[in-house]
Amino acid sequence: MERRPLLQTILVYAAAVILAVVIIVPFAWLAIMSISSAADLSSRPLNWLPQTFDFSRYGKLLTVASNSAGQAFLASLRNSLVVAGMATIVALIVAVPSAWAVSRHKQVGWSIYLAIATYMLPAVALSVPLYKGLAALGLLNNVFGLAAVYLTILAPFTAWLLKSGFDAVPREIESAAMIDGARLDQILRRLTLPLAAPAVATAALFALLLAWDEFFYALLFTSDQRAKTLTVAIADLAGGRIADYGLIATAGVLAALPPVIIGIVMQRALVAGLTQGGVKG
Amino acid sequence: MLLPLLAVIVLIIGWPLASTIGLSLSDARLVGTAGDFVGLTNFANTLGNPSFGAAFLNTAVFAFASVAIEIVVGVLAALLLDQEFYGRTVLRALMILPWALPTIVNATLWRLIYNPEYGALNALLNQTGLIPDYRSWLGEPSSAMAAIIAADVWKNFPLVALIALAALQTVPKDIKAASIVDGAGVFARFRFVVWPYLAGPLMVALVLRTIEAFKVFDIIWVMTRGGPADTTRTLSILVYQEAFSFQRAGSGASMALIVTLIITVLAALYIATIRRGVARA
Amino acid sequence: MSDLNIEGLRKSYGNAETLKGIDLSLEHGEFLVLLGPSGCGKSTLLNCIAGLLEPTAGDIRIGGRSVLGVHPKDRNIAMVFQSYALYPNLDVARNIGFGLEMRGVPADERARAVARAAETLQITSLLKRRPSELSGGQRQRVAIGRALVRDPAIFLFDEPLSNLDAKLRSEMRLELKRLHEMLGATIIYVTHDQIEAMTLATRIAVMREGRIDQLADPETIYRDPANLYVAGFVGSPAMNIFDAHVVAGQHGPAAALDADGSTVALDPGLHRNGTPGTAVHLGVRPEAVRLAVPGEPSSVTAKVEVIELTGPEKLVTATVGDVRFTARLDPNSRVAKGETRQFVFDPRAIRLFDRATGNALTAG
Repeated sequence: MERRPLLQTILVYAAAVILAVVIIVPFAWLAIMSISSAADLSSRPLNWLPQTFDFSRYGKLLTVASNSAGQAFLASLRNSLVVAGMATIVALIVAVPSAWAVSRHKQVGWSIYLAIATYMLPAVALSVPLYKGLAALGLLNNVFGLAAVYLTILAPFTAWLLKSGFDAVPREIESAAMIDGARLDQILRRLTLPLAAPAVATAALFALLLAWDEFFYALLFTSDQRAKTLTVAIADLAGGRIADYGLIATAGVLAALPPVIIGIVMQRALVAGLTQGGVKG
Repeated sequence: MLLPLLAVIVLIIGWPLASTIGLSLSDARLVGTAGDFVGLTNFANTLGNPSFGAAFLNTAVFAFASVAIEIVVGVLAALLLDQEFYGRTVLRALMILPWALPTIVNATLWRLIYNPEYGALNALLNQTGLIPDYRSWLGEPSSAMAAIIAADVWKNFPLVALIALAALQTVPKDIKAASIVDGAGVFARFRFVVWPYLAGPLMVALVLRTIEAFKVFDIIWVMTRGGPADTTRTLSILVYQEAFSFQRAGSGASMALIVTLIITVLAALYIATIRRGVARA
Repeated sequence: MSDLNIEGLRKSYGNAETLKGIDLSLEHGEFLVLLGPSGCGKSTLLNCIAGLLEPTAGDIRIGGRSVLGVHPKDRNIAMVFQSYALYPNLDVARNIGFGLEMRGVPADERARAVARAAETLQITSLLKRRPSELSGGQRQRVAIGRALVRDPAIFLFDEPLSNLDAKLRSEMRLELKRLHEMLGATIIYVTHDQIEAMTLATRIAVMREGRIDQLADPETIYRDPANLYVAGFVGSPAMNIFDAHVVAGQHGPAAALDADGSTVALDPGLHRNGTPGTAVHLGVRPEAVRLAVPGEPSSVTAKVEVIELTGPEKLVTATVGDVRFTARLDPNSRVAKGETRQFVFDPRAIRLFDRATGNALTAG
């Protein structure tokens, strides 16, 4: 187990370097593009490191001057935060009781399978009725409407993750508390949830990341700054006729920061949450 | 306890689903007329439509190619990360980055990399003398799908790798030692010691990734909109165009339902095969 | 030519030295037990012999041939692991024959070897089952079968009984002893359980912090431990230890207990070189402590604290001063809790240990 011939060691380090390069280089390029001058980006042959640095795009996107690209960007950032936050909170509120019920009572297991079955539906399948429904309720182009739609994605997924989390909390603790005279809501609040806190946190993070990442419904149901999220804003930039690729890259960097930071900090918990749920499910 | 989740599922998924089914049986337009009942005409038209068949083929190519590559590269990366070497922890932490990157940002990034006039890929290949001239990777039918697959694989293989790595670390050290003493070489060790512990989680990842791949929309929309010449038009994009561009809601609904059916059948097939495979092993 | 020769073996991990110079040799048919607590290096030593670890210094010779750098599969050894380490997706027959399969032994020869091993271990009926369908004891037999079938020069066992419950453990101990006698195999066996060591071994190596404190047959280890550590490790209940000083007695050296000054007679043959004034630890096993006959000289006065009747004997725990000791008495002895009684230590069983080093002060 500790015997390793020199050739193998060399191969391992070579492969590790290749893997690191493959992962890092696209990120690095995105960052470099965001601070390269337009001239550098359109030069042939391409300047891999910019001769002139241009940090102005960050300024442009982060201003609140009215009618600027920055205002649109910041508005979409705000919308993404609001929609993701609301949807996650409501999803948790909805999922926690159901996940707990499924964890403790095997007879209702079918509901989790039902929830998982919704995963088979491509977003397009529900899009038309949802569109008409939102329109009828006046919730088109509205953060609340979008958040409500996100529930369809987040609630089943968080319920599935939370079930695994609750499974890990021994039932005996709740039985002991019941004998001690505690009510169900007291047990949940003071015992089960604190003990399952890591799983709840992981589920919340996953939900946030999923909502932050969502594009299709946002594309369909939003049309202006009042509700347009970050993903749509960036797709607009990329598909538009803007010649400044650096600006697009800058928007990408800014949009990527929150999930990437969460990813680095929480990577162990995230992978654990996924593998646990996946293997048992 | 279950009520909130079930309420969500019924309200925001069940009702729209029923409504979609209703739509599919009519010739409704997106806005305006509710349309008349036309029975199964939409379904018949869809199945007979060559565009649908083409879109199915494109989707299948995308799904199987990207998932296959992700799994192979992911397992190889996991095997590497299971070895001991300096910097292993850092490399493992980095692996979460591509997954954390929002899909839209990833698509935009690669679109910039593939840019026919200024893109980094063209620059790299040209400067190293591998291609004589810049190419339009996303604009040529022969390379567009491959380019998209590459971008999708880059984003997703690290997650497969992390799941596989978690599985690899459940392999008991004693069995590894026993196999070494028994004289098993590297391939025999993989087959008899590692594979039993890797197969389960890997199969789960396979099913999940395939379902995701069949539903794909975001990355293709941003990179090619389904072009060039519809060569990257996948099922979800086709449905979107039918329902929202051509505004044929009824027809679009029927397509969406057929797609859902395809995905469900595929998933069921996978799961049945895995169950049989696991039982045999 | 001995089956195994180890000279000056050292193993370091960075700055930590796990094995600090091991020397031992093993003759054919011996059952050597490496006995010690967790972290003493016994598993490291076993892994070095197996070839799963390479030593930092020293030599290992199996059958006269140095095996440093030799792959485990070529060392002519077989290993049985604590967790059995069976291949979960192969049936028992294939598990047992796996090593042969890896060597390219033809299928019919393999089948014969597997059948022989299965019969020796009485698991022929289990050959088609999977490990997950077997009980702990059955899995252990399969693991032993896997080792048997290779017909190695040396069998290596790494705490094979630790995962079994008490009853199964004593059954398997008998099995192992029977196998050893039947096959005449050379065995190295790692354990922290001194009962296993005492019952199975032809020789025991008591290990502590990377060194062998004493290498001898079980009786010697029990009767004449080389130091305080070995004395305390083997034997249950443990040997009684008193702080004492050597004094000049009537017929030669005697020992005076520090606790209450009472004098205890020593065997003149064993301790004739004892210098009065030497500070020692006095050790005497519970079975060598008995109730004094009234008026008997050299007795120790103690207060009875706890009486445990185990069935075949009465374990009496008493205190002299603030030192506790245990006596193994006949189950019919009349003792009562709280009584003050006289106890006598059998001089032939008393062992003295240097207070400073812990080493036994042996007969000159």
